[in-house]
Amino acid sequence: MRVDRDGAVRRGRAVDLREAAVDAAAAERAVREGTWVSCLEPGPIHDRVSPVEPGMALSVRAALADAARTRDVAAPQDDALAGVRAELAALDPPAVDCAEARRRVAEAGEREAALAERVSELRGKLTALEERGDDADDARAEREAAVERLAEVRTERIAAEQALSQARDRAREARDARARRLRLEDRAKNLRRDARDHLAASVRDAFAAAVDAVPGRGEVGEAGEFAGDPVTAALAVVRVANVDAPVVLACDRFESAAAAAERLDAPVLRV
Amino acid sequence: MLLIVTYSRGARQTLRNVCSTHGETVVRRFGRAALLAETEFGALLALRLREKHGGDVQIEHTEPFNEFAAVPAAVRDAAAAYENRDAQSTPYAKFATGTDHPAPCDLRDSDL
Repeated sequence: MRVDRDGAVRRGRAVDLREAAVDAAAAERAVREGTWVSCLEPGPIHDRVSPVEPGMALSVRAALADAARTRDVAAPQDDALAGVRAELAALDPPAVDCAEARRRVAEAGEREAALAERVSELRGKLTALEERGDDADDARAEREAAVERLAEVRTERIAAEQALSQARDRAREARDARARRLRLEDRAKNLRRDARDHLAASVRDAFAAAVDAVPGRGEVGEAGEFAGDPVTAALAVVRVANVDAPVVLACDRFESAAAAAERLDAPVLRV
Repeated sequence: MLLIVTYSRGARQTLRNVCSTHGETVVRRFGRAALLAETEFGALLALRLREKHGGDVQIEHTEPFNEFAAVPAAVRDAAAAYENRDAQSTPYAKFATGTDHPAPCDLRDSDL
């Protein structure tokens, strides 16, 4: 690693930046973005453990699974998971939107009901006029016009219903695809979890040994569960993993950056 | 009632949240579906879900099924008689042949 900061260049597997008063997050960013730290590309393990600092949150099992990956451990679920992911990538469920068709049906239905009411009103009016012997020609014409409009609107409503029914058939197929996507996503999640458990278990003993080897308190149970300080767990994970990019250390566990790099068997950037 | 069916993990999670927050409006919960009470509030919850998750939310209007009101007696009798048949392996079509029970093709062509 090469650290170019404040006009000074430092090189090596262990760089101490305590004098430079850099905060841990800024150092981690520099490792990631290569701004003033030149080093190998950080991997997923960095997202888990770096920077190592008091109060850090660490998902030990997930970190150990990533650590196992750096040691080229494979999980029996890998092939199935790759298959599921490929299938998911190829799946592109079409849109399911019948809103416009529903709106047309509802509006045509309302117009039809209003017109039907109007037609019966006019019929009543016409009957009354005829019974009284008054001139009913206008009322008759008005009613006929309304009946005609009603027939038109009824046709429109029926067409709208047919369109909606077709849209629903298409939506059903699209939903089948969506249901399939959901099942695949659930399967991918289960496979990922099983793979993670397998990978974490594969380095359980190495992790227990690492917890004993790094400074700090912590215990590893039979099932690989960790009880203790997350900083201890993070350091042990680093020791277990094959780490290429420098891990940012913001904890007082080692005498020097060099001692840390040696104990963790990883490049370190002490801040 | 309003039947809500979800088709994505996000929509399923939102439905779960809705169900646990508004238990009084939830008639029944299933894995990734739920029946909501037929109130305007039920509709509000359903439409919010659709607004948020689009095509991953299906909303259907359902009503309780009353076979005595909705189904002809011949169909009800056929169902009862078939379930009490002697030979378990007899398919319905064969069972109905030569009896007063309706043929499956007639049933398929008749809407309720």
